[in-house]
Amino acid sequence: MKELTISSDAPGERLFVLGNEAIARGAIEAGVQVAAAYPGTPSSEILETLASVAKELDMYVEWSTNEKVAFEVALAASICGIRAMASMKHVGVNVAHDPLMTASYIGAKGGLVLLSADDPWAWSSQNEQDSRYIAEQGYIPVLEPSSVQEAKDMMADAFKLSEQFRHLFMVRSVTRIGHARSDIVLGEISKERRKGQFTKDRTWLVYTPREARINKPLMLERFEEIKKAANTLPYNQLKLADGAKLGIIACGLSYSYTLEAVKWLGIEDRVSILKIGTPHPLPEELVIRLLNSVKEILVVEELDPFVELHVKAIAGEANIPVRIHGKDLVPRIGELSTGKVTQAIAQLTKSKPPVDFAELDRLVQETAPLLPWRPPALCAGCPHRASFYAIKTASKRVARDYGKDIEPVYPGDIGCYALAYNPPLEAVDTTVCMGGSFGIANGLAHVINAPIVAHLGDSTFFHAGIPPLINAVYNKANITMVILDNSATAMTGFQPHPGTGYTAMGEETVQLKPEDIARACGVKFVEVVDPLDLKKATEAIEKAIRFDGPAVIVSRRLCTMIEQREKRKRKEKVIPYYIDQDKCSPKCNACIELLGCPAIIKQGVKTIIDSSLCTGCGVCAQVCPYKAIIEEKA
Amino acid sequence: MIKEFNMLITGVGGQGVILMSELLGKAAVADNLRVRGSEILGMAVRGGSVTSAIRIGDEVYGPLIPLGKCDILIGMEPSEALRNITYLSKSSLVIFNTAVTIPFTVSIGKSEYPSLEEVLEKLGKVSGRIIQLDAAQIAQAAGSLLTTNIVMLGALFGTEQLPIKIATIKEFIQARFPAKVAPVNIKAFDLGYEVCRQAVE
Repeated sequence: MKELTISSDAPGERLFVLGNEAIARGAIEAGVQVAAAYPGTPSSEILETLASVAKELDMYVEWSTNEKVAFEVALAASICGIRAMASMKHVGVNVAHDPLMTASYIGAKGGLVLLSADDPWAWSSQNEQDSRYIAEQGYIPVLEPSSVQEAKDMMADAFKLSEQFRHLFMVRSVTRIGHARSDIVLGEISKERRKGQFTKDRTWLVYTPREARINKPLMLERFEEIKKAANTLPYNQLKLADGAKLGIIACGLSYSYTLEAVKWLGIEDRVSILKIGTPHPLPEELVIRLLNSVKEILVVEELDPFVELHVKAIAGEANIPVRIHGKDLVPRIGELSTGKVTQAIAQLTKSKPPVDFAELDRLVQETAPLLPWRPPALCAGCPHRASFYAIKTASKRVARDYGKDIEPVYPGDIGCYALAYNPPLEAVDTTVCMGGSFGIANGLAHVINAPIVAHLGDSTFFHAGIPPLINAVYNKANITMVILDNSATAMTGFQPHPGTGYTAMGEETVQLKPEDIARACGVKFVEVVDPLDLKKATEAIEKAIRFDGPAVIVSRRLCTMIEQREKRKRKEKVIPYYIDQDKCSPKCNACIELLGCPAIIKQGVKTIIDSSLCTGCGVCAQVCPYKAIIEEKA
Repeated sequence: MIKEFNMLITGVGGQGVILMSELLGKAAVADNLRVRGSEILGMAVRGGSVTSAIRIGDEVYGPLIPLGKCDILIGMEPSEALRNITYLSKSSLVIFNTAVTIPFTVSIGKSEYPSLEEVLEKLGKVSGRIIQLDAAQIAQAAGSLLTTNIVMLGALFGTEQLPIKIATIKEFIQARFPAKVAPVNIKAFDLGYEVCRQAVE
């Protein structure tokens, strides 16, 4: 069986791919030469895919320390005439926001594309912000695909459009594009490889007030050109139905749901549909043609009423008396679906819904009490579990000295360890953004009287943890900062980072140590512990909390998923633990209540260890008051 | 021409749900079918609930199955099949693995796991046909508990409703695993297929 791959130059052939692979393929077809990113769901697989073929296709691909750097790397390549991209999740765009707002003044020489992966319903995120507003703020045109195929096509075209209009373009994906699967038809791969050339041009590239004032009008001119072109781009399509009273404007993925909804309702011939692939800027002429042809409009888009507001502005400006619906009927929260769009259209057209949605709601309510709560959890053997046990034990000891009712506070961060907010660990008190744990701890130190123990992972530390660490030293914040160093960007799929010693393209590089950085930043208390040695780890953390001034603990142990994988490679056996039922007290439950390890389960009154899940970390054996948990004989 | 054929695979992170949809999708494309689908990765895995939709046909556009329009729901685990009950209708078929995966919230007393009778009763009210099998046991009979997902894939084909050829899916299973374990997986597929085919009859 001859299998096609993502780098096969086989135009016209069909390949079954993940949406993010399709996006990478689009960039490959455009001949992208530089790609940079910081991992974040739902965007990570884009750069992973590019990295896997970088050498073969003569591209430079890197995992940058954060999204700001990633975007700047791509911008630099574009300035030198090379096709370049940066990909990131929606909240990553916030990190890149600063260069982004001036990059639009610069525009682009080599095609420059920013891929923002939005996450409606915040499946893997701290919020469900709509990145189209950021694009609007920076006069950055947005391409929004309706399908995986279109995501690939748009990505390939985005580089060409960027060069044609000398402007930066954004492609906005969402979870159900990036993590959708579909067959796609491959296009031709551009073999062009350019040489980077930096031309000194102060007026174009050095932004003092003078250049801002010179370049803003030029940027606005470029944007006007793009606005005109939006009317003829193939991603915007107007299909007028004879005598239609209702017009639907469907943006991005919502177009796919809309096609299914009108078919489901059997009203394909009675509604006019404007497919929007460029929410910013909108194809004004097409919008006006639709507005003039119907009595009512329904704008269908995920998250905020971005297109809706602009359509209302166009209608107002052109003085067209048409009723415009949008977020009054289509939810503003969460993902859309064929069902939700069908309900909105049915309400507006007074059609009979194809299924009884009220009945389905009843069914959900009826079933809910029967369903067990299955939140994601730290893996069996995860070293974070041990770190949290040590953090909690140590901080509670110290808290007693602060006063009777004083509770320690645990500012947390973005990564697997956020899962420790669930019972029984409940060791996360705040999660806001990358690096936010140390930042919040800085502020708390000046307003409350309690032990403050903040934690973040190694990759997050390199991404956004160093400035707040320096801030703690500079502003004398008496906090403990724990770096949960599992040598992995585990939550997003084990991408390498500055602490791992190798790059995205698999090359060896220097391995940075968080403890060296902390010491260099002036932290006077820095200790490295192995969390699996609970006693020593707890003692070190207690000392750190009692230390007067900012203290750093590096809790270092390889991510158990990587360790298990390496053990399998080395053909090393995992030696699980078991519970000696003669010693175990069935009423005790200490191991379960203190650790919440998925491998420790109740079987009736008995507590047992599922040996297929146990990794042999031995943490439970250390907390068992009856010494009933024992390592199996090898 | 297939207009719309919807399959929803439900389970728990680590049960191989994503691999099943990859195999189904690749095989469908090889058989010249149009495929759409989507899944939830990232925060939702790590032992949490996982669903993956695979949709085949020329009138399929979106990545998600509309409520009530699932043709076959595959439950890698009883409670996860139940969790997705709103995708079912009278014409749907449910195939689920009776081997349970108890979440840790049950161990710490924060939630309860339903009995098999309760699961069956609820599903039975909505869906016309339910096939249950102990896929874990069958997988062990095939040679490895790790083949549970392939047993369920076999069972899915055992319904004899799929527009994908059996030879095609087997070809992809064969290619997906190292030569040493491929035969065990093919055996798991065959056993699952047979159990389901008999149940359908």
